[in-house]
Amino acid sequence: MGGVQKKKFDRGAATNYITRNRARKKLQLSLADFRRLCILKGIYPHEPKHKKKVNRGSTAPRTFYLMKDIRFLLHEPIVGKFREYKIFVRKLRKAYGKSEWSGVTRLKDNKPVYKLDHIIKERYPTFIDALRDVDDALSMGFLFSTFARTGKCHVQTIQLCRRLTVEWMNYVITSRALKKVFLSIKGIYYQAEVLGQTITWLVPYQFSHDHPTDVDYRVMATFTEMYTTLMGFINFRLYSSLNLVYPPKKLSALSSCLARVVSSVEEDEAQMDHFPVEGEDVEQMEAREKEHKEQEAQRRLFEGLKFFVNREVPRESLAFVLRCFGAQVSWDKSLCIGAAYDVTDETITHHIADRPNMEKQYINRYYIQPQWVYDSINSKICLPVEDYFLGVTLPPHLSPFVEEKEGDYVPPEKLRIMALQRGELTDFFSILVQDEDEEDDEDDDDEDEEEEEEEEEEEEEEKEDEQNLKKMETQRSQGKVTPGKVKKEDRGRLEQEEKAEEKRLAIMMMKKKEKYLYDKIMFGKKRKVREANKLTAKRKAHDDASKTDKKKKAKKQ
Amino acid sequence: MAPNRRVKRVAASQPGFMTLNTSIKPENLVSNRRKRINKNKKKNWNKHIDVNDVEDFLEDVRLQERTTGVASTTPNTRAIMSNTRAIMSYTRATISTTRAITLCSLCWPLLDSTRNNQQRRGLISDKSDESLFFLDAGDKKAGTQTVVEPTGRRKASRPLKVDLILKNNSLVPVPKDILAYQLPNAKKLRNVAKKAEQLAAIGKVPKKHRPPTKVDGPTKTTAADAPNNPTRDFYDIWGQETKETRDPWYLRQTGKAPVKALLLKAHEVEVKKEKEENKIIKQLAYDKDDRATEESVFQEQVEGLEEEDYDANDFNSACTLGILNLVEKKTEKQRKKERVQKIKEQRRLASRYKTGQQQQLFQLRSIKVSLRQREQRTKERQTQRRANQEAEKYRPRRLGKLKFTAQDLEVQLTNELTGSLRTLKPEGSVLKDRFKSLQKRNLIEPRERAKFKRRLKIKYVEKRSFREIT
Repeated sequence: MGGVQKKKFDRGAATNYITRNRARKKLQLSLADFRRLCILKGIYPHEPKHKKKVNRGSTAPRTFYLMKDIRFLLHEPIVGKFREYKIFVRKLRKAYGKSEWSGVTRLKDNKPVYKLDHIIKERYPTFIDALRDVDDALSMGFLFSTFARTGKCHVQTIQLCRRLTVEWMNYVITSRALKKVFLSIKGIYYQAEVLGQTITWLVPYQFSHDHPTDVDYRVMATFTEMYTTLMGFINFRLYSSLNLVYPPKKLSALSSCLARVVSSVEEDEAQMDHFPVEGEDVEQMEAREKEHKEQEAQRRLFEGLKFFVNREVPRESLAFVLRCFGAQVSWDKSLCIGAAYDVTDETITHHIADRPNMEKQYINRYYIQPQWVYDSINSKICLPVEDYFLGVTLPPHLSPFVEEKEGDYVPPEKLRIMALQRGELTDFFSILVQDEDEEDDEDDDDEDEEEEEEEEEEEEEEKEDEQNLKKMETQRSQGKVTPGKVKKEDRGRLEQEEKAEEKRLAIMMMKKKEKYLYDKIMFGKKRKVREANKLTAKRKAHDDASKTDKKKKAKKQ
Repeated sequence: MAPNRRVKRVAASQPGFMTLNTSIKPENLVSNRRKRINKNKKKNWNKHIDVNDVEDFLEDVRLQERTTGVASTTPNTRAIMSNTRAIMSYTRATISTTRAITLCSLCWPLLDSTRNNQQRRGLISDKSDESLFFLDAGDKKAGTQTVVEPTGRRKASRPLKVDLILKNNSLVPVPKDILAYQLPNAKKLRNVAKKAEQLAAIGKVPKKHRPPTKVDGPTKTTAADAPNNPTRDFYDIWGQETKETRDPWYLRQTGKAPVKALLLKAHEVEVKKEKEENKIIKQLAYDKDDRATEESVFQEQVEGLEEEDYDANDFNSACTLGILNLVEKKTEKQRKKERVQKIKEQRRLASRYKTGQQQQLFQLRSIKVSLRQREQRTKERQTQRRANQEAEKYRPRRLGKLKFTAQDLEVQLTNELTGSLRTLKPEGSVLKDRFKSLQKRNLIEPRERAKFKRRLKIKYVEKRSFREIT
């Protein structure tokens, strides 16, 4: 019987989305206010699947929001505050125009402000939720705290960011949560583990800003506004988790301890709880325990060492990092407040400087370059200081965030560090001697390294053999192989040959589809190997080149 | 005391004017509405205003002045308040309620006006006619009674309008209103005053009366509340983690189930009842076409009579067929053959069925394998699709006019790299990096900075004087 004709765009996707302008009109806000509101409430634009349907047949590029999101915004009390602020601005302008100064002061005193506390609670219902999202907040906070007093953002915001970031750093110091540091050309990346959450943030270098023009500062300021509130609440919670008073006082120098007695670390050391879980072997548990012990060791990496930071070195970063691992740090009194001891202190063990050489040197301390600290932290051991003396060409600063899988190219420096970690090259003195030898006979060095590599490769091979043996044994225990005469000398080789044969046969018997897949996998593997080889070759060429350079220089001298 | 509205120049308004149509009276021809005239022109006065009207008005004013005197020039609000009290009591006592209401509604705006401009005179002529309904100016007795506060000056001797309205012109004395002397919150105020006195004896001035000092400053509540205040306070926002909502099972067990559930239950019972009813109705229902009509009844009656003929015919035909069948009789041989064939067929089918079963048994494995394969395939596809969807989520999307463009990779070449941290030159901006990251995660749409567009072209001209110098 016919019926009413369906209207277009009355149902479906068209009703689920709303354009930005329509949303703005619905909320009766200006575009800037709308943007701010969306950022604060965590409402982001959406790209609909069928743009033409949503856009009512038009293909004009528009920004869409979900209708339900906008409906959710309608009840936000902040919207009212935004409108109030608009009115306030209008009144203020009027008062200025009429030069009613008393009116101006009165208005300014009653300037409408809004709070973001409820939004934080709404967006992050639990503390852990908030902690998971703190990465961004930290990066932004550190960034804003390094801003100078330009007109780009409010001074108060900068100050608040500074306060919150310093609080955060102090928390990390006290809880000894720092795990990795990396100095990049952009800034310094830190990674910490806070309450089981891995948190990474980026701190720009001091005084390195040329304000880019293509960044919307208002948007960034709004994000910062939200993030600062979030960080404040997180800091409060973290401090209370350590039984510390919040807000703490006198922190900016990063020199004083938050707690009178730093006991948390020692208590932790006491013992780890054992919760035998079903289905977990003793091995796994032992592994866990070992890991825990390692972590403990890493936490107390610099304990008992006394550092002095020279003035040309980034003080804040170094003080933060060193104190995270239990060292004592000081600096020149004129550099910053909070200097604990002077240069002349005889008990200083390490002096961090970044200049070719020092005129006056104390005999009982190491003069090292700052990279030593960061590299030691990443390798979880105190690296030999000899490579980092003043004026020495530094070893490359490897990123701790790169984790090589099997078959990847591993730079020789990393191999060396790994060897050190295993405790194979603990004798620093021998290395020193080696180095001296190197200067006499450069080729040795190369061979040494190669030997090292070879050794390692051999080790790996041995390991593989062992694994194979184990496998065999297990197979045997299952009863597949009948007991017979076994030539002990050739057992391994024979086994391998057999295996290879089996593999070949299996490949031959493969179906077309499987074969295709297999080929693909093998191709990928080969490519990886090829790339790794290429990199090693490149490295070798580079080393050779640098060596010849050195030789030439030596000859000239 | 509406002034004479008739304008003399209009002929129709003249006395003795006769209209052509006798049914219309001459008075109706002139509109009753008062014509609006500007009174600031002499010409208008001459032309439109009747002198008699003005005279009348002035007479009235004079009369009033004679009777009531001039209102007091500075009535304070307190007096008015007490007066209003009086009004209320008066009205309560004397006038009927409806009138009281009208009176009140009339006098409130008046009160306001007196409060606002205190120097205003209390002329009765200022008022609308209705408000004077109970004031008889000619009553000398009442007039003498109304003089409230005669002051020395002549100007100040005129009473307040309000007082005039509210004056008691009945001879019955006003009942005493006790409430008139009561202050709201009197006890509290008294206590406060007492406390203040005590404090004053010690030498303390209450904060209200203390002049604002520079240290205090104006009350700035806003600055502390601002979200970017560097010294702002934080608290344990996650102190009371959100409570878990109660288990519905528990609620049902304890009988704390919400009303909604109960309603639903009741609703279900009702629905069941209705269904049963409908069922019965359905069973009782019959087709409309089955309803007996005259025709159908007749048909029914006739039916038996006609059918007999048909039966006879049928019987005949059946007989003939039977005869034919009897004629074609099978032989013994044929029958035997047929039987054997039948048995054979049955055996064949049985064996076939058996083999089929066996075949299926053997097939079972392959079927299983194929099923498993299919399941695996679907599972793989599902995971793939899910992964794709997940990847899609984190892909930068097209959110506006502009597409997201990734930032250039910040790299320093080997020769640009310096040996030490001191000489390191940072590359790229962290701010831009953060901004791009936000865009990449679809949190903000990529935008171009608003360009300043000049509507009119600028013409560059070198000033002559300037040119001369250079």
